[in-house]
Amino acid sequence: MDDILAEFDAGAPSSSSPQDVEHLTKFWIAERTAPEILPYQGDVLERLMERVRDQISLLESSLGNLDPTSSFRLILVQTELERIKFLIRAYLRCRLHKIDKYSLHILQTPEVRARLAPNELGYMKSHLALMNNHYLASFLKNFPENLRRLDDTVGRLSMVDEPDMDSAVFCKVNRDVDTEITIRGTDAAFELKRGEVLVVRYSAIRELVGNGDVELI
Amino acid sequence: MYGDLGQKLVHHAKRTQTLHHLPSYQSEVVRAVTREVRDLDREVTEMVNTIGASFDPSSDPGVAYTLLVRHLCLRRNKRCLLVYHHTRLRKIEGLCWAGGGLDALDWEGSETRGVEEDIVAGDDAEGQRHQLSPEEEEYARQYTDLLAAAKGQWTDVDLTGSLEPPRDLFIDVRVLKDAGEIQTEYGAINLTKNSQFYVRQGDVERLIQQGFLQKLG
Repeated sequence: MDDILAEFDAGAPSSSSPQDVEHLTKFWIAERTAPEILPYQGDVLERLMERVRDQISLLESSLGNLDPTSSFRLILVQTELERIKFLIRAYLRCRLHKIDKYSLHILQTPEVRARLAPNELGYMKSHLALMNNHYLASFLKNFPENLRRLDDTVGRLSMVDEPDMDSAVFCKVNRDVDTEITIRGTDAAFELKRGEVLVVRYSAIRELVGNGDVELI
Repeated sequence: MYGDLGQKLVHHAKRTQTLHHLPSYQSEVVRAVTREVRDLDREVTEMVNTIGASFDPSSDPGVAYTLLVRHLCLRRNKRCLLVYHHTRLRKIEGLCWAGGGLDALDWEGSETRGVEEDIVAGDDAEGQRHQLSPEEEEYARQYTDLLAAAKGQWTDVDLTGSLEPPRDLFIDVRVLKDAGEIQTEYGAINLTKNSQFYVRQGDVERLIQQGFLQKLG
């Protein structure tokens, strides 16, 4: 058993950045927990996809090889591959979910829009156009002109759905933060020490998540 | 009373959320609400025209309130229509993701019936296809295309794959409906009803989603 594993280790292609999987896992968790959409991790994804493709071609080239040691190795490779594929899929789907939910808000806020990958932006725009056409065709075409808009804010009710930045998130502190954290609208103020785990409003730690001082869990 | 029909649509939408299939499109109600909107708008325009631009609300509160109530009803009806259509679109999108397009819509909600029966029932007024409005069918088609384009960028990952984390490479499946022969790297498997196989999850993922196979254990 040991020598099989040793051989497996030796045979594994040396990767440029072994932490990519770990990073993407973190980004995926953060994406799932954060109410707003986070910056797209194009570089990590690209490197991972490259290796996924490498592994797939490795599998294809060793098809038909019936040597028991190597088929054991192949099962390990395939299992790993399925897991990475799941991770990437879950990450992308999670983003698409948020894009669908807040598309008008994203479209109207350039700062948020910049976080999307070009293909995500393309998807969002086509999707919005489709929905618009559908509403128009279904009933809006019979409406008076002034009632046809989909982004009204009349009567204090905005038609544009925005993420709730004050929703509670669980987070872990990675580095001590010197400045005091205050929560808007309350007199709560506290400092962040490394290793602490807190439940706070997302808005209070939003910037710290961005620079990596705090990690969403 | 104004708004009653809109309320009905909201109830339908609420009900749709908890159902597995898509109930038939309430074209009658939608038409009635749209008509109500047009009537209200006409009345409002007429009123505004008769009272002129120099109208002082405090001098004639009756007219002012009538205007306000009609105006709010207009907006409310619009919201109801949007809610109804949006909920249905979300459902349609969900079905597109789950089953790979219109085919899924055709036999979603009719799990007990065979595929052949569905094709026959397709011409029937009760057939699944007729539960969508023509506009919705068009939307479903276009969304499927959009989805296919989005998937095309991630062919190796398969965006519509399972969102359950993979545990084992191989799984036990039971065949619920005849699905013909599939090719795997271990050779061809003939999927006949009620037989049971130990196969690679990746090979049969799609068939499980479409309800041909059932995962065991």
